[in-house]
Amino acid sequence: MTPEEGGSVLSRRKRTFDDVREMPITAVSEDDMTWNRTGSWRNVRPVYEPKTSPCIAGCPAGEDIQGYIALSRQGRFDEAARRILERNPFPAVCGRVCDHPCMSACARGAYDESVFIPAIERFLGDWAIEHDVRPPVAEAVHPHEVAVIGAGPAGLSCAFYLALQGFPVTVFEAREKAGGVLRHGIPEYRLPRPVLDAEIARIERAGVTLRTGTVVGRDVPVESLGDYHAWFIAVGLQKSRPLGIENEDVEGVMPGLAFLEAVNSGRSIAVGRNVVVVGGGNTAMDVARSALRLGATVTVLYRRTRAEMPAIADEVEEAVREGVRLRFLGTPIRAIARNGRLVAVECQEMELGEPDASGRRRPVPVPGRTFTLEADTLLGATGELPDTEPFAALAELEGGLVVTDEFGRASRPRVYAGGDVVTGAATVVRAVARGRAAAQVIAAELTRRDYRPDAPRKVVAIADINTAYFERRARTPQRSGLGADAPPRSFDEVHAGFTCEEVRRELERCFSCGVCDGCDNCYVFCPDVAISREDGVYTIDYDFCKGCLICVRECPRGVISAEREAH
Amino acid sequence: MKLVIEGNHAVSYGVRAADVDVIAAYPITPQTQIVERLSEMCATGELDARFIKVESEHSAMAAVIGSAATGARSFTATSSQGLLLMHEVLHWAVGARLPIVLANVNRAVAPPWNIWTDQNDSLSQRDTGWLQLYCESNQEVFDTTIQAFRIAETLRLPVMLVLDAFYLSHTCEIVDVFDADEARDFLPRFDPPEHLAPERPMAFGNLAGPDTYYELRYRIDADMRRGIEVVREADEAFARRWGRRYGLVEPYRTEDAETILVTSGTVTGTARAVVDARRERGERVGLLKMRLFRPFPVEAVRALLGQARRVAVIDRNIGFSIGGIFAQEIRAALYGVSRVPVFSFIAGIGGRDVTPETIDEVVDVATSLEAPDRDVYWIGVKDAELHAART
Repeated sequence: MTPEEGGSVLSRRKRTFDDVREMPITAVSEDDMTWNRTGSWRNVRPVYEPKTSPCIAGCPAGEDIQGYIALSRQGRFDEAARRILERNPFPAVCGRVCDHPCMSACARGAYDESVFIPAIERFLGDWAIEHDVRPPVAEAVHPHEVAVIGAGPAGLSCAFYLALQGFPVTVFEAREKAGGVLRHGIPEYRLPRPVLDAEIARIERAGVTLRTGTVVGRDVPVESLGDYHAWFIAVGLQKSRPLGIENEDVEGVMPGLAFLEAVNSGRSIAVGRNVVVVGGGNTAMDVARSALRLGATVTVLYRRTRAEMPAIADEVEEAVREGVRLRFLGTPIRAIARNGRLVAVECQEMELGEPDASGRRRPVPVPGRTFTLEADTLLGATGELPDTEPFAALAELEGGLVVTDEFGRASRPRVYAGGDVVTGAATVVRAVARGRAAAQVIAAELTRRDYRPDAPRKVVAIADINTAYFERRARTPQRSGLGADAPPRSFDEVHAGFTCEEVRRELERCFSCGVCDGCDNCYVFCPDVAISREDGVYTIDYDFCKGCLICVRECPRGVISAEREAH
Repeated sequence: MKLVIEGNHAVSYGVRAADVDVIAAYPITPQTQIVERLSEMCATGELDARFIKVESEHSAMAAVIGSAATGARSFTATSSQGLLLMHEVLHWAVGARLPIVLANVNRAVAPPWNIWTDQNDSLSQRDTGWLQLYCESNQEVFDTTIQAFRIAETLRLPVMLVLDAFYLSHTCEIVDVFDADEARDFLPRFDPPEHLAPERPMAFGNLAGPDTYYELRYRIDADMRRGIEVVREADEAFARRWGRRYGLVEPYRTEDAETILVTSGTVTGTARAVVDARRERGERVGLLKMRLFRPFPVEAVRALLGQARRVAVIDRNIGFSIGGIFAQEIRAALYGVSRVPVFSFIAGIGGRDVTPETIDEVVDVATSLEAPDRDVYWIGVKDAELHAART
């Protein structure tokens, strides 16, 4: 018997053979495997569970950072900018001045260097200005009008998000121009005014009415606000905390905020040769670097050490690079004047004692040890205080700050507050977050809906990122926008924005933590071919997934989670 | 077109002429130039094939098993340890009836490390079910590569073509090559009835119990036997088209020979010169070159060696304790049919040179005896006691 000829035709149902010629040449089966659902072997199952990227979790405003980076990678910059504007009306501002907690949270920081998120945000913010990118405004107009008091980041954010939902909003602003601390506090070298103006203009175009030069409690009686259906108080912190030193009233001693406001409004101001700035926060850095640009030699006097400085580390570093001197463990006790004009500051030497409530070590005077700094101008930047007296009738105050719940509701119905006037001195992005959150609460309550904040999603752990799939690549540096002069003598912007090429390079560094980018690893690695892909969507066939979790391990970005089976 | 190329590149050009679809390989000396040249051909578009880089020879064979299962013409190449690492999947290729072609460059097995030629790597795969063809020249390498695909696809069994390390792999000779267009009639597209295709789902390698496995193995054995005719037919068809033929075995001056040497691979060329020299001196010495090792050409061996007075097999390999592997096969083929004594000589293992003097010594030893006085003769071995005992 020779089987040369027959045997290559498959019989679909035949399983037993009487002759070798009837058999296929090798063991093949045309049956499907549905009789053997190996998924029943599984005791743990992989599930696609998109998660929140650490950057998003780190952003107080909850910007969809991973999302706008993903859109930008595809060159969809309009959509990317609009994605930011869903959470923050100030991408061009925040891309420049934010303390970027997103970047500190970035998973890439644990691998090589965190992604330069603020530079990307700034690029998109500038893109949005240049291309007039606007978010959609609701067509329906609500009958409920809202008054916002204070046109700083919190007030403008609240107004913007109410206006987008179709609420008529009027913002009352004491100063001649809107912007609040963004305009009178932050120096131009960090935030050029055309950028700020453009972002405020977008807010106005969303339908917000700005009534500037209008002081509530003076030009408009507080009572007249009763015509509005809700009020949002966001007046910020108005006054510098006094230094509380001997001779504080002599010529040459000045509150830091007043100095900044004068510089920022373009008024000429003489500071003399030597300037001493007191404080260690961001305001102190802004004051010091502004004074430097007026031609002075500037010394920052801080009562603790560099490690305890609350200012953004980059700001401190840049100040030092520009020539600002830092003098630690000292606090002013007396202004020394000649002919009624400041000539020097007598200072008390300090040392660090036990930690205080903030966890930082408390500075304590070293008995009998003082020193003197020559000074033509002494600028205090040791904190800001609220000026909320006119609102005492509207809301309960505590230490001058408005008391609210976590959603910004003040003690009286229909009164809300947010920003520094609630939190005390904080950051721009936190004020924006408060303003937007209040807008959501106000909108819900005015339309008699329950306000339900978004349920928190799981945040990707850095350990869930499979960094084997990423090449090490250094952060794209931001180029200087200044000439070679040091110290700088102009208020030109310090940093140049990213070019298209630079932003593309930096965008590629994003891990896309917790969010599928269609890399196909799960699809490719599944040893049971239990993962299918259709229109970019992956599906697990649990009839055949044995729960080996290779997909979980090989997902570079922690999108797939493992769940124990109930059985 | 005539080219001066090394044996490894003769394989590459053969694969190009066979118009393969998939190549998967892992580099190993002395094979590397085969796939190096092929990867260049794939990169330049000279050859329209997918080149799959893998992390081991086991994966290389696994990859071509996968591609061959879809009906794609598939090729790989290796040597020595690489072939040994493939061993498990070599069986798979046979059981799945996949017509893969593999070029093995014979290299000694470690330890100790040795990159020179001997045949223990390929002969260790004797019972995997692969056909094996041993080549003597670069032209034969090129021609056999193309024949190998025709044989494999006719039988639906994998074919290993074998060439000596360095003596062929790295030595340049004139080779008359042709391209795929010229080879198309000889080697038409292969279209197996069962193959993996998404539109017709089918499982391969599923369970076959004692009631069917036995027949499937019987079928492989039957097809392997049929391989004798298929190899002959491929060689004849090739000769009609291009005028070159090699046979299953090649007899040289055996007609009236009393002593017939048996060789394989490049030793054959040297042996041919020794036969000529001995013939000039009036000695009736002949030579049989073994080209086909699997299937073993039993009938040809019986016909050509059965009437000789003695047979001296030179093996560049060793079946420890029993002698050369070709010698064993030849003894087995002749058993019960002829009483001709078969001497087993070992030479050239680990790349040691097999010179005319080596082969002269083989002839001298064999012709000095009527029958072997021991199982195996290690020619030229540095063992003073052994030589003292003989003289």
